[in-house]
Amino acid sequence: MATARPGWSRRAQYSLFFSFLALIAGILVGLFLLALSLLAPARYDAVRGAALDITGPIASSLHAVTETAKGLVTGAGNYWDAANQNSGLRRERDAMRRQIIQAKAIMQENRQLKATLQLRETQHDAIAIGRLVGSSFSSPRRFAILSVGSSDGVRIGMPVRSPDGLVGRVIDAGALASRVLLVSDRANIVPARLLRGGIPVISQGRGDGTIDVRPLEVGRNPFKRGDIIITSGTGGLYPPLVPIARIVKLDDDGAVAIPIADPANTNFAIVEPPYEPAAIAAEGP
Amino acid sequence: MVRAALATKRKIGQGPKTLAVFLPAATVIAASLLAALPIVAAGGWYPDFGFLVLISWRLLRSDPWPGWWAGPMGLVNDLLTGGPIGLSVALWSATMLALDLVDRRTMWRDYWIEWGLAALLIAIDKWLQWRVAALGGARVPIEAIVPPLVLSICVFPLSAWLVSRADRWRLGR
Repeated sequence: MATARPGWSRRAQYSLFFSFLALIAGILVGLFLLALSLLAPARYDAVRGAALDITGPIASSLHAVTETAKGLVTGAGNYWDAANQNSGLRRERDAMRRQIIQAKAIMQENRQLKATLQLRETQHDAIAIGRLVGSSFSSPRRFAILSVGSSDGVRIGMPVRSPDGLVGRVIDAGALASRVLLVSDRANIVPARLLRGGIPVISQGRGDGTIDVRPLEVGRNPFKRGDIIITSGTGGLYPPLVPIARIVKLDDDGAVAIPIADPANTNFAIVEPPYEPAAIAAEGP
Repeated sequence: MVRAALATKRKIGQGPKTLAVFLPAATVIAASLLAALPIVAAGGWYPDFGFLVLISWRLLRSDPWPGWWAGPMGLVNDLLTGGPIGLSVALWSATMLALDLVDRRTMWRDYWIEWGLAALLIAIDKWLQWRVAALGGARVPIEAIVPPLVLSICVFPLSAWLVSRADRWRLGR
């Protein structure tokens, strides 16, 4: 752009003036686009998906490199402490085996009870399995990039989980990659309940990697440190009985929890169909 | 004065690189592309690389690109980082306009003034991001944006230094 005072040249004066006009036009166009993205975000689905197809594969390929490097380091560390780890793992395995036998018995009993109640439950298969390869790291929102997209059957709105627990839901889907709204995002509200006692609670992200948990019934604070929060299946989007978070701190009317499926350490994320598509369709956007 | 002092240090064959005009804009887009790094972070504490490089160029010189380029570059940044589309378009254009007006007022510049200006712009950027996130249904407590803000302000000198090196390289000095 020209200097502050372009002098007597009429041409220079005009070019300065028009450059100011162009900037003001840029601001107005930006505000218009922003208003549109706040009021009608679905309009941008196609273009956001296309942008994801550029960044997603880059992140995926870089992710493979960093994983290899990380694997070498942790691999060396494992050899270093092999004997201690071995005995620890063996102890853990024995404890696990006892718990698995118990759990199998409970599952069998559960199946029989459900059969007597004639409760029907649809079995959900995974739609796609991908890796979390990146995240929004310069904004108050918490998004992650998942390495599968609409070519694998991923659609906007589908819940995403890892073997450990709930990760979030899909909000943008490109052909090759998709963007996931993590459970730690402020806008992600998950109907949940306490594993101990089954008290219904609401989980809402705090935007900094942790989660706010509030009981639905006002009154006594039902939480204890170390409690596990699981999804309740209310609302029909998320499947029930998926672990969400572990409580680390109590506050006056609720608690702060950290997600069990830590996106930074989640290797695989599973995209599932919405649990009760009918319920979601009835609710409607 | 001795004659040697008047001689230029320039060597034959040195000069602006081809496409030197487009290099500043290309570095801004490259900085936005850092969003594709495979970092899965729990909190959004990293600086806004695209915006940092943008203001570094604009504070270094008044003509890194024609002013209106800020709009399209902002759109690219929004798409690459997954932010609300239009926020960077408006904010980056407004930043160029504001700095043009500041250029008319300031009598002199030094590092501290530049850093102060950059801190002010980064604070406005972070606050607007927070505000738009709140409008979009994610009302994070305002204290949550302080650590990333401080981090961004501390990273600015590094970005300004890198940009000044890139500027010297592109002009062949």
